[in-house]
Amino acid sequence: MNTVMQSQAAIEAVGLNKQFRTPIVAEGKFAGIRSLFSRKYIVKEAVQDIGFTVEKGDFVGYIGPNGAGKSTTIKMLTGILHPSSGKVMLSGIDPHRDRTRCASRIGVVFGQRSQLWWDLPVKDSYDILAHMYGVADEDKRRRLAQFDELLSLGEFWETPVRKLSLGQRMRADIAAAMLHDPDLLFLDEPTIGLDVNAKRNIRSFLKTLNEEFGKTILLTTHDMDDIEQLCRRVMVIGGGRLTYDGTIEGLRREIGLPTEIKVTYRDGYRLPDAMTESSHMQIVSRSEDTLTVEVNRQEVRTMDALRQLGHWGEIDDVEMREPDFEEIIRRVYG
Amino acid sequence: MKMQTNPSTRIRTERRTVIRNYIRLYLLLIRTSVRSRMQYRFNFAFGTVLAAIIQLSEFLMVAIVLAKFGAVRGWSMYEVGYLFALMTLAKTLYRTFGNEVHNLERYLVEGELDQLLTKPLPVLLSLMPRGFRLMPGELLQSGAILTWAMGAMMRSGQITWWAIPQTLFAVFTGGLILFAIGMATAACGFWTTRISMLQNMTEDAAQTAARYPLTLYPGWMSGLMLTAIPVGLVSYVPALYILRGELGVWVFPLLAAASCLAVLLALAFWRFGISKYQSTGS
Repeated sequence: MNTVMQSQAAIEAVGLNKQFRTPIVAEGKFAGIRSLFSRKYIVKEAVQDIGFTVEKGDFVGYIGPNGAGKSTTIKMLTGILHPSSGKVMLSGIDPHRDRTRCASRIGVVFGQRSQLWWDLPVKDSYDILAHMYGVADEDKRRRLAQFDELLSLGEFWETPVRKLSLGQRMRADIAAAMLHDPDLLFLDEPTIGLDVNAKRNIRSFLKTLNEEFGKTILLTTHDMDDIEQLCRRVMVIGGGRLTYDGTIEGLRREIGLPTEIKVTYRDGYRLPDAMTESSHMQIVSRSEDTLTVEVNRQEVRTMDALRQLGHWGEIDDVEMREPDFEEIIRRVYG
Repeated sequence: MKMQTNPSTRIRTERRTVIRNYIRLYLLLIRTSVRSRMQYRFNFAFGTVLAAIIQLSEFLMVAIVLAKFGAVRGWSMYEVGYLFALMTLAKTLYRTFGNEVHNLERYLVEGELDQLLTKPLPVLLSLMPRGFRLMPGELLQSGAILTWAMGAMMRSGQITWWAIPQTLFAVFTGGLILFAIGMATAACGFWTTRISMLQNMTEDAAQTAARYPLTLYPGWMSGLMLTAIPVGLVSYVPALYILRGELGVWVFPLLAAASCLAVLLALAFWRFGISKYQSTGS
């Protein structure tokens, strides 16, 4: 029995679909009532046939342009929205059939919304949440002390939530989502609108949660630094479908963006007359001693490119730059 | 020593613990919501005074109607006053505890319901305490009319002291019925998002209509008010027995059964509605 429990994946999503049906109602009197009986709908396929498995301890980034279906997916995973078809299991629990039990085992943060009590001091929210999740006083104190160390909650402990800065609020909110010590954490755009410092703060906290406490984390973001610094795995959604699921390096490879090689020659270089022959290599810029070329590493091995560059003069120094992640994402988003 | 526990007793104890926790949590959330509201003392005081003034003006309206027409279709001024007061008290009971169910549209439009759905509690339990409020204006107004109407009827010997516990019982079942109607109406919002138009019909208009004897209305309408939107059960039906001795004592078990059934049906519809919740884009 126990072994079965342990082998369960943290998240298992199978064939998730979500359609939104908006009734079409002509404007005018009693539109609200008529919409009840309307038989015409605009059907929007928000998410189509999404399936994946996230193992315990994973840190997954979920990215995609606005309106691609990221939030809809997260809301289906957390039990807020019921999928039109398909199935979700979180550590073996169905978040739709068993919402309250599931909710007590996961943490959820929506960057755009707060789950704290707006008009009360931050600490009061933790007291209420502790009651709600049945967290013992001692555990609450211990965890909050830990979070305080990592997120410096102390500086706004007594402040009403509405008076917090966005960065403080986000720290407070993430701590709130972790108060009942869930093993699985969902974050929807946790770094949205934050300054560099606040972002760094949050990232290092998430990293600690994942690496030291073994928490499974799935986050959506538009900030590619979040992905690069935190996630071992990326899932890309576009137009409601999963278009990529794998490592960042794999994504880089798949897009096939060129690597830039900047070569400094000791005594200048001499380009061959027939440059067109090597179409795998393109000259981006040149000066007296340096030459910058773009190489598609899917097509040419780096060593071969360097060997060829060596033919044109005596190489003094080589600098290579991998394609920017932002650039990759721009291509992915199309 | 071996501890033997019957699994069914264990489940029962567990359920009892869960319910006790829910009650404790409910009270805590009410305290929290009152404390939040007290952050804006002026707003709170002003709102309370304003509600009292609105109630007073409503009372004047009824007073004018009563003074002008006196009796309505064979119902004396006092009896109509009683109907009005009973409806207002039941509504006050519903809105004191269930106001946030009535305000569900706000949660649907702004996607606020998302947060409640991530909590390990039934949605109603996290929703209802947020809107808990005392309504002294309504209580005072309806209490005064009820005292006036019942006092006069007692003096004339139409009713006895027995009418007081019976009336309180009717307030309670009436509150439950209004709550059920409110919850069922709100649940339509899971499909339509906007519900205020529907509420105008099923709540506001229906409640206002049921402040008068149902004999005033055409048959289909009073039929509707006793079945589909059972506002007639809030004040008219209890008044028939309590004031006029019509029907029979079975009215009370009927009211109890009808109000429980209404709440259960509304609850089932609400649960089904939540599975259709569409949330909002972000």
